[in-house]
Amino acid sequence: MIAFENVHVRFGTAEALSGITMMIEAGELCALVGPSGSGKTTLLRLVNRLVAPSRGRVFVRGEDVARLDPAKLRQSIGYAMQSVGLFPHRTVAENIATVPRLRGWNAPRIAARTAELMALLHLDRSLAGRLPRALSGGQAQRVGLARALAADPDILLMDEPFGAVDPITRRELRTELRRIHQATGKTIVLVTHDPDEALELGTQLVVLRGGRVVAAGPAASLIAPGADAFARQLLGGTQPGLRRFALLPAAASVVPEAPPQGAPELPAEASLADALSLMAESGATVLACAGGSLHAEAVLRQA
Amino acid sequence: MSTTVLLPAAVAFAGMLLPLPWLVVAPNRLLPGTSISALATLGALLPVVALLTLAALPRRVPAPAAACSALAAAVLLAGLTGQAAAQALQGLAAAARAGVGFGFWAALVGSLGLCAARGASLGALGRLLLLLTVAASFALLLASGALHSLSLLVEYRVRAEAVQAAILQHLVLSGAALMAALLLAVPLAWAAFRQPRLAAPIGAVFATVQVVPALALFALLIPLLAALLASFPALRELGLAAIGPAPAVMATAAYLALPLFRSLLGGLASADPDAVAAARAIGMTEARLTAEIRVPLAMPVFAGGLRVAVVQSIGLMTLGGLVGAGGLGALVFEGLAQFATDLMLLGALPIVALALAADTAIGAAEQRA
Ligand SMILES: Nc1ncnc2c1ncn2[C@@H]1O[C@H](COP(=O)(O)OP(=O)(O)O)[C@@H](O)[C@H]1O
Ligand SMILES: [Mg+2]
Repeated sequence: MIAFENVHVRFGTAEALSGITMMIEAGELCALVGPSGSGKTTLLRLVNRLVAPSRGRVFVRGEDVARLDPAKLRQSIGYAMQSVGLFPHRTVAENIATVPRLRGWNAPRIAARTAELMALLHLDRSLAGRLPRALSGGQAQRVGLARALAADPDILLMDEPFGAVDPITRRELRTELRRIHQATGKTIVLVTHDPDEALELGTQLVVLRGGRVVAAGPAASLIAPGADAFARQLLGGTQPGLRRFALLPAAASVVPEAPPQGAPELPAEASLADALSLMAESGATVLACAGGSLHAEAVLRQA
Repeated sequence: MSTTVLLPAAVAFAGMLLPLPWLVVAPNRLLPGTSISALATLGALLPVVALLTLAALPRRVPAPAAACSALAAAVLLAGLTGQAAAQALQGLAAAARAGVGFGFWAALVGSLGLCAARGASLGALGRLLLLLTVAASFALLLASGALHSLSLLVEYRVRAEAVQAAILQHLVLSGAALMAALLLAVPLAWAAFRQPRLAAPIGAVFATVQVVPALALFALLIPLLAALLASFPALRELGLAAIGPAPAVMATAAYLALPLFRSLLGGLASADPDAVAAARAIGMTEARLTAEIRVPLAMPVFAGGLRVAVVQSIGLMTLGGLVGAGGLGALVFEGLAQFATDLMLLGALPIVALALAADTAIGAAEQRA
């Protein structure tokens, strides 16, 4: 869906990105993580040509973006960012309708789509006629996300979209994003400096440092013992083992034998970390799970 | 009590109570006359006028009642003065004139100012109603013939056509100057916005113009234009002349360029950078971004500059009377040259009225937007 081929980006004399080669498959939710200044935003903005590579090529849907009309390309890709940037003189509905209007949709279709998006993002209908200054931070973020999704793009770029809202709203918005991703199957590229957010949302993670990709892959593989030390430290913190177990499903280690009498019951969708927690709590070394047994040895064998 | 209420009240009472000339009766329009005091003119009704003015002061009096009371004082003193003028002229020669003096003007402007100050606290609809009431009251007063004998009206009857033509001409000249200034300021503001290092030098040039006394600039343009025409006689065929509308419009436009340039540049720069970044990121072309985001967001700041420019244009165009452009300034300067106060006022009063009307109209439009 999106491919980078030996991409370099230079601002003046400083190289912001060096030799990036990677692919983002259709339907992934790819989280770009890394410390501030590591080039996450720059990498994201290459996709819709807000930044041009000084060397190398960027492909979107198989086409070199350098050959595409920038306005058309950007209209075909959703974009949401931390500062939202709603148009202060336009109502919520008008803000949401921006890209469909740029693409020349007719009025009834725009109205229907706006209503649909407000429902999708749990925005009350009464907000449609409000100006952005009368919205809370969380509502503004939702409107920004609705505007990004308005023309139903197959790719969505998000630059720290939940950075400026309170922790409770942030958790809600994360859940919402995961729901939208699962429901629509869009390719989403999410920039974040929050490892928890990347682990929670990303089906693929890309760890950046000093303008280079130091590790990429599914979350659990980046915290595994043999993984890159920087990525492991960034994502795993002081308990990489537990963090990784939190990402692995317990069901895979269940053996099809009857659990002992009185063994504590573990939900079928629980993670290995949940299993360890239940063992630590109950003192049992065997748990009942999905009609079979889960042994402590089998859990630890995953390490 | 706030100064906005006290100041006009003080002016009104100064006009009524100080020994200032209220009515001046002269043998003809050029010779000096003898002054009559407020008490002698208004007689026993002076306390009534004073009480009506006084009643508009206390905060306890509701704003609509206070404003109407001040208006009643203004209408009454004008009407009574008109009547007194008619009486004073009885039995005198036809050339004799009865003009109003400084005391009258102070009382009239003061009481109307008080009316406006108390009316300012009303809502938008209330203010509009008050404005219509004031206009209707004075229209009725004029129509009733009560002011018929005042020299200003006598002068107006003699020159009605010239005054009306001058008002129209003044508006056309001011409009032309505004257009010329916009043609100059808009592209330069855009250039300075795209190329920020241009902003300082362009602003400096326009600011320098402001420092030149207006009179000097108007006068300076005549030899400059004459020299230009001497070098390029073809320009003469385009209707350009060294005296007349050309120097007046050019000089006025030069002064208007600064407020227009500054407010437009400030407005363009004031657009929320996040909104601009978002617009670009979701696929607006630069042209659309300007039309849909930058310009609408610049409008509130620009409207402020436009308001200043329109008022300045009407005011400065008065000097056009000195360079042969005509307009209301021509009446003012003719009046000044002849020491004919009434003629001067016939030019000056419409200028003040036009400037106030334009300022109010743009202000109202600004609030609605
Ligand atoms: N428009 C720009 N001009 C100059 N330098 C820039 C620009 N954008 C980013 N940079 C530099 O490139 C590097 C990477 O920036 P960025 O991609 O914004 O990092 P991140 O999003 O990971 O914090 C930083 O050192 C930053 O200062
Ligand atoms: Mg960033």
